[in-house]
Amino acid sequence: MFDWVLQVPILSIICYLPLAGAVIIMLFMRGTNNLAIQRFATMVVAIDFVVSVPLWFAFERQGELFQFRESANWIEAVGARYEFGVDGIAVLLVLLTTFLGVAAVLSSWSAIQVREKEYYIFMLLLQTGMLGVFMAMDFFLFYVFWEVMLVPMYFLIGIWGGPRRLYAAIKFFLYTLVGSVLMLLGILALYFYNSTGLMGWGGLGNPRSFFIPQFHEISSQIPPDLQFWIFLVFFVGFAIKVPMFPFHTWLPDAHVEAPTAGSVILAGVLLKMGTYGFVRFSLPILPAATIRLLPWLAGLSIVGILYGALVAMAQKDMKKLVAYSSVSHLGFVMLGIFSLNTAGINGGVLQMINHGLSTGALFLLVGVIYERRHTRMIADYGGISSEMPLFATIFMVITLSSIGLPTLNGFIGEFTILVGVFNRTWWWALLAVIGIVLGAAYMLWMYQRVFFGPLKNPENKGLDDLNGRELAYLLPIVAMCFWIGLYPKPFFEIMEKPVDYIVQKVDPEYAAAVADDGEPSADADLVAEVED
Amino acid sequence: MTPIAPQEFWLLLPEMVLAIFGMALLIAGTMGRGIGSRMAAVASLVGLAVATILVVWTQGQATMGAPILAGMFVLDGYALYWKVLFLIATALTVFLSVRVIEEGGYRAGEYYSLLLLATTGMMLMVSGFNLLSIWISLELMALSSYILVGYFKHERRSNEASLKYFVLGALSSGILLYGISLLYGATNTLALPELSRSLAQAILHGDLLSAVGWVLLAVGLFFKVSAAPFHVWTPDVYVGAPTPVTGYLAVASKAASFAILVRIFYQGLAPLVIDWQIVVAAVATLSMIWGNIAALTQTNVKRMLAYSSIAHAGYILLGVLAANETGLWALMFYLLAYTFFTLGAFGTVVLLERREYAGETVSDYAGLARRAPFLAACMLIFLLALTGLPPTGGFFGKVYLFAAAIEAGWTWVAVIGVLTSAISLYYYMSIVVQMYLKDSEETTPVLMRAPGLALAIGFCAVVTVILGLLPGIFVDLAKSSILPLAWNLL
Repeated sequence: MFDWVLQVPILSIICYLPLAGAVIIMLFMRGTNNLAIQRFATMVVAIDFVVSVPLWFAFERQGELFQFRESANWIEAVGARYEFGVDGIAVLLVLLTTFLGVAAVLSSWSAIQVREKEYYIFMLLLQTGMLGVFMAMDFFLFYVFWEVMLVPMYFLIGIWGGPRRLYAAIKFFLYTLVGSVLMLLGILALYFYNSTGLMGWGGLGNPRSFFIPQFHEISSQIPPDLQFWIFLVFFVGFAIKVPMFPFHTWLPDAHVEAPTAGSVILAGVLLKMGTYGFVRFSLPILPAATIRLLPWLAGLSIVGILYGALVAMAQKDMKKLVAYSSVSHLGFVMLGIFSLNTAGINGGVLQMINHGLSTGALFLLVGVIYERRHTRMIADYGGISSEMPLFATIFMVITLSSIGLPTLNGFIGEFTILVGVFNRTWWWALLAVIGIVLGAAYMLWMYQRVFFGPLKNPENKGLDDLNGRELAYLLPIVAMCFWIGLYPKPFFEIMEKPVDYIVQKVDPEYAAAVADDGEPSADADLVAEVED
Repeated sequence: MTPIAPQEFWLLLPEMVLAIFGMALLIAGTMGRGIGSRMAAVASLVGLAVATILVVWTQGQATMGAPILAGMFVLDGYALYWKVLFLIATALTVFLSVRVIEEGGYRAGEYYSLLLLATTGMMLMVSGFNLLSIWISLELMALSSYILVGYFKHERRSNEASLKYFVLGALSSGILLYGISLLYGATNTLALPELSRSLAQAILHGDLLSAVGWVLLAVGLFFKVSAAPFHVWTPDVYVGAPTPVTGYLAVASKAASFAILVRIFYQGLAPLVIDWQIVVAAVATLSMIWGNIAALTQTNVKRMLAYSSIAHAGYILLGVLAANETGLWALMFYLLAYTFFTLGAFGTVVLLERREYAGETVSDYAGLARRAPFLAACMLIFLLALTGLPPTGGFFGKVYLFAAAIEAGWTWVAVIGVLTSAISLYYYMSIVVQMYLKDSEETTPVLMRAPGLALAIGFCAVVTVILGLLPGIFVDLAKSSILPLAWNLL
């Protein structure tokens, strides 16, 4: 049924469809009314999502690591090629991007009242940039998408953001740019080491290339000291994006000032580019450095978990609270990844998706109520569950998903991560668990203060409950939360091969131990239990 | 001394034609009521076009790389690449100038004449194979530029700039010449290949005279490319000069100075590579740091672009520093891209500038995205390119300048380069903030009605993006015309 997907350059279509939409709006929709532009942009992201769904079905779970490959010459002079391809992890992230894209654009209909045309152009350009990041298999191409994407996000925050939008936008841009230019130096060092050589380090003499699997291949040949330096610059680039403590300070500003859709994309997809970077590059290309730095990496992750949670607890602004909760959740993802075993990375990747869904939804929900009341202060609310029962219910489900209640997606992710972490170093898991407890505390406390109690503030009387459009973008997310919570098996299946591959690359001894047992090791059993 | 065959002169035909056009314009400008700006511009463009065709023609005529005219000049792929680049830059400058000169009310003939003569100087210089011929061509370029800077002779700023430029320029030319004379004293030659051979001997003896000589020579060249700490003239001259001239200085003059700097360093001073790399590293670092930090506080766009030009001198010096093939072609590619996006940026200043120097302060860009979406989009592309962000030629070029430094083991300079280039985002974005994020009180478009200039700006923007997305052919072009790395041959 989905065979046709293999016949067409499906990834390019998914990636450039939003770009084409943006160009059409730019060139052909002069003077068209805003409603038409709105509808058109929504249609484009919706079609993009529909086109991306076949990836899920046509992707062969046990097939090649990278599928739907596209390959063409690009800049032959330097060995950069146009290489697209996705593995199981990238498929999930591509789907997350197209899925949240629809929700974000839908939520903008009422939220964006000025300069709509430019807004939708930037929104669509952003989609293209993010999708390209997850699809690129050439390091140079990857980097182009990685940087190109900053520009529309800068405008989204800077033009349609809150009162401190200029500060937040330039801070976001500067932070991420500093990280990415340093990362670029790392890329170039790898590139030269692989080919003609770096002064003082020698080289492998392979043809000049930016092909990512090529770098995976030479991972064991890179001297550990060189790996260490490259890892450090990659780390700055990715850790700022994630963001890991102490590189997180841009995030609360950007989140609070960004328009709702901007926050959704920022939390849902942009942050995942950092974690994706660790999984795709740092771990498999620089295994020796990863293992050498592991205590520090895990330490920063744990500090992030606890610090994010504690700061979230003190917030009076709902959006800021959710923003800091992201720091905490992403700390979890990183800790899972740094456990360097199957369960941990499985959980980390799944939690990336979970965080995208639940935090994305939380920002959408905060946006919904902000549009009605024009305040995000928790103190301005109280008892609104009686006015907006539907809203309160969905908010509850998402809150529970975020704090990891069984039957919802967060639980599966966090549990799998903890299994992996426990296997690596048991007391890391102990510290991480404190983060879960704190998470439950600040989320439920916020929920209680906003929805329960007496309805004191007269302005909150008679607030409209969710309308059809809002339900249309919230309910699918809720459904996804339940799906992952109740039946995560397909998700673990699609990422099984790439995760095994990464473990094999980064910690071959562990992978060998698992293989020697002839059957799944203890933690794999636990995963199996969770899956059932 | 080898006898000169008469046909060798034909190889300098492009320069001759350009000089003839220049002098003809000078005469036409003095006859009767002079020549109008448009007429003169068209004549200049014709001259430039003929010269371009002739440059391509000479390629087929000469034995590439063989010295001509008693070793004074050389015609190699390297020289041809730069000649075409200078001609393009000058043609774009002409587009920038037409309206400005027309409205300035000064004689147009002289202006275009000087422009063409300066370009002639550049073209001769990059072909120069002897320090003497190089110095004379350099002076032709410099003297023409001094006058161009002061072309608005009733403007106080223009006068001041011209005088400053002249005094400091003359000083630097003097230093350059003194360095050349010391080198001559030490090596008994001014021809680059022989110089290089003699220096190889001299360093064996730890010769002080030649060391002082090359350092002074380098200082003179650093002044011309406006690298810190020899940059002090740049901001005042850039602000005071008529904007098209500023663009010309920032692009053509800089490219020419870099072209000859590379030729002298790579061919003449090749044996000293270890020594001059240290000096270049220091100058590059200082330029990148000082240029970018000083630009942060500027509110005048031309002044900001002046500091940005100092910073760019620093980035481009990374290509010199690397002293490898990557560095060389990256430098050539970057200056090609730089020509388009910098002249494009100056073009937008010209378009906005018409009403009494409005358009020079950053806040004049407020709300430009609404008033002139096309112009704002082009300016956005130029600013992204100046910052070094994709999808622009500035990105690709800069990446490879840094790459060359890393390949050569100068990682710490590359680190400073990328970090300062991240800093530069802040001040370039301050213009973007005005264009897109702020609303202006004015609602009527204040743009100059200059379709030719608008077209040129659009062209620059398109080329900037093409150079970013499909740099392949241009890289091949630069690669095929790089200098042979002299120290590999020694």
